[in-house]
Amino acid sequence: MADTNTIVGQTILIKGNLQGDEDLTVQGRIEGSVHLSKTLIVEPTGVVKAEVSVCNAVISGIMVGNVNATESVELTESGRMIGDIRAPRVIITEGARFKGQVDMGDVAASARESAARPQAVKPARFEPPRKASAPTARPTPVAAKPVPVRAEPKVEARIEKKELDDEEAASKKKVVVRKRR
Amino acid sequence: MANVIGKSIVIDGEISGDEDLVVQGTVKGRIMLKESLLVESSGTVEADIQTQNVEISGAVTGDIQATSKVEIKADGRVVGNIKAPRILIADGAKFKGNVDMDR
Repeated sequence: MADTNTIVGQTILIKGNLQGDEDLTVQGRIEGSVHLSKTLIVEPTGVVKAEVSVCNAVISGIMVGNVNATESVELTESGRMIGDIRAPRVIITEGARFKGQVDMGDVAASARESAARPQAVKPARFEPPRKASAPTARPTPVAAKPVPVRAEPKVEARIEKKELDDEEAASKKKVVVRKRR
Repeated sequence: MANVIGKSIVIDGEISGDEDLVVQGTVKGRIMLKESLLVESSGTVEADIQTQNVEISGAVTGDIQATSKVEIKADGRVVGNIKAPRILIADGAKFKGNVDMDR
């Protein structure tokens, strides 16, 4: 399968819908929509103007449009993106430029999960992420003791740009955001 | 391997470019290249094609216009009209359509 990795070369332009079950490397341009069950790799020369739904996305080129990933989205240092990201794991490397929203799903649920597993070794550790992700929904977050946490209301998990500024919180969710203005 | 449209890939739309393209998957719509198009045996193209060279081992439905050569290999199947200065149809190939070799 690795030998049949699809590559869209530098001078190639695809306009329309693209779907498939293998990795796709874009060095050229794609406009339209991309649906893959594997990984989309946008190389530094690549430009994708499309609605994208994939398993993983690694963006080193230009991406304009919304990206929905079932696993992860990574913006590398040469990546530039305008659009919204929806993925459980979002990695934004230093040097990357990004404008849009990030939605990592039910952040509170995953924090609860990880809090419950080690039997609340350090409950306070999980406090900042919750605070960051849901300032309005839960104004006074109680320390993440496994039992009461379960009763917590479902929290709006969308991470807005300003919330990502809370770097400490962000890094606990494996998100690194360095903003460059 | 520069440009490969892999086996599981389906493209519905338009492909254009200045380099060779190998199709192992499915392309519907239109293909315009300055170089060669190679449709491998697993490839399916339902598109109008404009290129310099075309080599077909898979299935092509659509009109083909090549500035140099169109070659249908033994396992190639083509339905459509072909216009090219040189057209080669191998023994075993299936073809239905018009051939125009006028320059």
